[in-house]
Amino acid sequence: MVVDKTYINALSIEQAHSEAIKCTSGFRYIAGGTDVIVNKFQGNDNAEILIDLTGINELKQVVTKENNIEIGALVRLDDLKNYKVIIDNFPALLEAANSVASPVIRKTATLGGNLLCENRCIFYNQTEWWRESAGHCLKCNGNVCIASGGNKNCFAKFVSDTAVVLISMNASIEVFADNKISVIPIEDIYSGDGITPLKLSKTAIVKSIHIPLNNEYKSVFKKLRQRETLEFSSMTTAVTINKTGKLKIVLGAVHAKPIVYNGNITDDFNEILNALISNTRIIDNDVYSRAYRKEMITVFLQRSFKELSLLK
Amino acid sequence: MKQLSIKINGKQFEVLVNDHEMLSTVIRERVGLTGTKIGCEQGSCGACTVLVNNEPVLSCITPALRCNNSEITTIEALAVDGKLHKLQEKFVEKGAVQCGFCTPGMVMTAICLIPNLDLKAGMEALRHQIKEGISGNLCRCTGYKKIIDAVAEYALEIDNSTSKICDDSKGAVGLPRPYIEAEKKVRGAAEYADDIYTRNALHCKFLRSIYSHAKIESIDTSEALKLEGVHYVAIGKELPITFGVLPISQDENAIAVNKVRYAGEIVAAVAADTEEIAEQACKLIKVKYFPLKEFLEIDESLNDVGENEKIHEYGKFNNNIHKKAELRFGDQQQGIKEADVTSKMFFEFEGINHGFTEPHAATAFWDENGLTITTATQVPHYLHRALAKVMEVPLNRVRVIKPYLGGGFGGKSDPFPHEIIVSHLARKTGRPIRVRLTREEVFLTNHGRHPSKMTVEMGISNDGEFKVLDADVAIDGGAYGSFGVVTSYYNGVLLQAPYKLNNFGFKTYRVYTNKPQCGAMRGHGAVNSRFAVESIIDDLAHKIKVDPCELRLKNFLDSNTLTVGQYRITSNGSREALLKVMEQSEWKKRIGKLETGHGLGAACGFFISGSALPIIWNELPQSVVHLKLDFDGRVLVTSGSSDIGQGSDTMLAIIVSEVLGIGLDKIFVLAADTLLTPVDFGSYSSRVTFMAGNAAKDAAENLKNEIIESITKQKNISADELNFSGDRVFSNDKTIDLPWIEVVDILTAKRGAVCVSGKYISPKLGGDFKGAGAGLSPSYTFGSCVAEVNVDTETGFVKVINVWGAHDCGKALNPLAVEGQLEGSWHMGVGQAISEQMKYYKGLLLNNNFLDYKIPTSIDTPDIHANIIETIDPEGPFGAKEAGEGAIHPVIPAIANAIFNAVGVRITKLPITAEDILKQMKENKFLTEKTIV
Repeated sequence: MVVDKTYINALSIEQAHSEAIKCTSGFRYIAGGTDVIVNKFQGNDNAEILIDLTGINELKQVVTKENNIEIGALVRLDDLKNYKVIIDNFPALLEAANSVASPVIRKTATLGGNLLCENRCIFYNQTEWWRESAGHCLKCNGNVCIASGGNKNCFAKFVSDTAVVLISMNASIEVFADNKISVIPIEDIYSGDGITPLKLSKTAIVKSIHIPLNNEYKSVFKKLRQRETLEFSSMTTAVTINKTGKLKIVLGAVHAKPIVYNGNITDDFNEILNALISNTRIIDNDVYSRAYRKEMITVFLQRSFKELSLLK
Repeated sequence: MKQLSIKINGKQFEVLVNDHEMLSTVIRERVGLTGTKIGCEQGSCGACTVLVNNEPVLSCITPALRCNNSEITTIEALAVDGKLHKLQEKFVEKGAVQCGFCTPGMVMTAICLIPNLDLKAGMEALRHQIKEGISGNLCRCTGYKKIIDAVAEYALEIDNSTSKICDDSKGAVGLPRPYIEAEKKVRGAAEYADDIYTRNALHCKFLRSIYSHAKIESIDTSEALKLEGVHYVAIGKELPITFGVLPISQDENAIAVNKVRYAGEIVAAVAADTEEIAEQACKLIKVKYFPLKEFLEIDESLNDVGENEKIHEYGKFNNNIHKKAELRFGDQQQGIKEADVTSKMFFEFEGINHGFTEPHAATAFWDENGLTITTATQVPHYLHRALAKVMEVPLNRVRVIKPYLGGGFGGKSDPFPHEIIVSHLARKTGRPIRVRLTREEVFLTNHGRHPSKMTVEMGISNDGEFKVLDADVAIDGGAYGSFGVVTSYYNGVLLQAPYKLNNFGFKTYRVYTNKPQCGAMRGHGAVNSRFAVESIIDDLAHKIKVDPCELRLKNFLDSNTLTVGQYRITSNGSREALLKVMEQSEWKKRIGKLETGHGLGAACGFFISGSALPIIWNELPQSVVHLKLDFDGRVLVTSGSSDIGQGSDTMLAIIVSEVLGIGLDKIFVLAADTLLTPVDFGSYSSRVTFMAGNAAKDAAENLKNEIIESITKQKNISADELNFSGDRVFSNDKTIDLPWIEVVDILTAKRGAVCVSGKYISPKLGGDFKGAGAGLSPSYTFGSCVAEVNVDTETGFVKVINVWGAHDCGKALNPLAVEGQLEGSWHMGVGQAISEQMKYYKGLLLNNNFLDYKIPTSIDTPDIHANIIETIDPEGPFGAKEAGEGAIHPVIPAIANAIFNAVGVRITKLPITAEDILKQMKENKFLTEKTIV
């Protein structure tokens, strides 16, 4: 018998949530699905029930409220460029969004989906056959991390490009969970555990992304990748300064979670660098070597600082 | 299952779909619109792009039920009332369609892109926008240039086309023409192997080994057989006869028997009602393995295995060496002595995959005529032989049909296990059997370029004369033989040109390893060793402080000469090619004068134009072409040659058109069906234009002679008075002036249809020493490239910004097609140079998909400037030689040499990585030694 599967098109947050809590077997919400569906093909996601959120129109709005812009979680990456408020205030978000996958995928992939996209590792993002042959790693119920040889921690890479920029701009997400709505800084939703990288409950639904306005953010985004399109990140940096001289730096793809530095524009560059690098957990799970990715952090941050006139 | 209401191309459908079914399955399998292609199944190639409510989506990763009540537009809807959309017309006119497999997706993406283009931005900026816009759609054939041209011209409503769709009033050599089937491909109407609907077909899936080297102790298929919908489960002992493309390497079973030799080898095959059931059944098969020591690297396989089991039993020695090839000419010791300066370097190359966009697919069935298989193959003839052998039936019970084929590049030029297995399952079940490999399975099937290691040494006099060349090569063949014996020789022998060399020798070892097998790939056998030689020449030029182009010009072989290994060189456009790219790149003006990080590099190449010897020794001609002319005036061309997207059907039509002076509208090409078409050995070794082209010319001339004879008899005129042109036959004084249809009436009167045959047999060539046959060709091609790069000195990132290339193809029968082959070759070379590699972890391919196997996208592909050099080969059809493979040789070393010019580091490992560049830059004092001359 081939197992029956279910697909549910949800039209409201409440409907999606109530379908989710009814599920006794595995389920997964899907937004654009460009990440989830590939993981399903590879057998990394065996959810028998898919709850499609893309019919929920209230999650597709972009509105300005008080000192925030609120971007619906289902706003597609390609649509971000259609909002003047984003173009004017957060060009680095556009740059990050445009660095995701390919132009056609960005017409399906959503901002919320990108924030929640599954952590990646060259030893994990493989088919069932491959993983059986290699020996299952920690992230697929095995006993050892193939990349590091360790048996405790999985450092599958956190690869959201937009999250890196959004965190650097102190953005938050509005989440519907346990029948209540809360607003959480984006950096707080990532656990640092490559196996279960999100702290959100499985039935939680991200409603929107809030970015503070009127801070006069200046940001520089950089992404290490071999080709200029299609690629997931090998290492990402976002450096943001605001009108009061606050500095926030976020690194992506160097740990199972984003690595964040909060400080001031007057902070010493080398000390910043040391603080950041000491928190990374780069392992050889990427097309580029661990050493090279680490080395590029310095290069990217130096360039970013120069672009922001923080270094000569 | 759920009901899906969906409007596709304006027509409402109510279909039952599986809940997790993808839109592409609905479109292709349930509605039958096969213009939408499946290339990767994970949204990385773009071949499946369709519009949902007027926006492009990747239908292979779009859940069908999301599209309930949506309007879908597929490629089939673009043409209205039979007339192509203007963008489709542009694709055809500009030669943007080669194999055509990516074309529907590319057109659908482009059509949505166009309204968003800033048309006033200027041509360069516009082209960049287009490159960015189509960057999620991979094309392996064109190098994107002609696609970008087509989109730009459509968007700007300009017309720079040198070809026109309907300009077929006269067929003539040398006119740029779209492929004869381009319109069908751009409509999405061309059927590839997986598009052909066969009633009542079962689906096939494979269970593959999880070990690289292991004994199979037992296989239990009982649970799989119990699954409802499963019809048959096959295991290895049912197909005990081995096969392989070369008679001396018949070392593979369709399904592993007793042991597996690479992870991914097929150990069982299931035929079931659906793909899903077959896949589920595979999971129920229990295999007990006894793991053996794996041999994964060249060095391991060169050594004595001791007590361990060899990968293959045969072979005199207790190691895993498959083939040793060695030839020596002149006196290399003396050559070293005569050299004032020598350069010896070690090179390392990762394996490369063909990356064709169409996955392998086949359908087989048996009936009163025996076996019929429709399959994506470059070599119907060799598959025909292999099937007859393994199925144990006479040759006359096998029919192989090649439908439209979505790219080959050598990767579809062996008989494959899946082709044999579906034939076997079809016989066992009495039902047609279908299979389409996943992209991962395509990578496991491989037969790509061998990973290689080599030490190459050259010596030169102070005045720039090459004195000696010695190459010591080891290549990693993977688990089976494939074309490996040929590859072993080609790594050496194809270094004996394009330069004069009196003292030349090589030694190659091909080893078996427990990895997917390697075989032939574009530029077969010599791409890596050519990289080595051209890098060393650049180094020598640097050492003796001469311009590397001048050094090459000084050492080129002449036309009409013999090489040291007795290759007969006839036409030779080396010099013209190099001078052309020097001029175009402003080499003299710019070399040595660019700032750090910016470099120019040059290299040259050389390749065979068809192997003079057949793979299986026999006395058949290399190619036979039949022509049939009947009362309606149409000439039917039948040829066994395989059009794999390189345009060979069009080439045949052009040649027949030229000889008979009639338009292409009167010519119909039927090719690559072993029942209906005469034997041609296939599309490999760059042989089709030269050999099938000559056979077509011979056939057309025979038909022409028949026509002349019939007219001279009836009209009482001398044969040499008659001319064939413009769909007419006329005498010099026009007293006789017959339209074609009257010519046909005269010929067929009281006789009916006239059938003639033409053939090509290679001349006897080469020396009488052992190994003399390797690389023998009736003609050779030559070419050059100059590459321009920017190297980021802090990250090591290389951006190839320009490739100027020139290739001596003898005569461009169809310049549009030749340009397309050259641009595609150089694009593929850029991939091998800077991004592509098959990366393994313990014998398992890590990057077995189009996300991680990094074919350059449109943004990563430089501006390519193609130049055709015509030398009119004395034996080629109308002077033509190959254009599909040789061009790749110079581009890779040209890029490496440009990197040396930019930052002073000599990278001897492919692909060239940013990390390697950066590492070497730190170790080198590049800033002081950067300047070349």
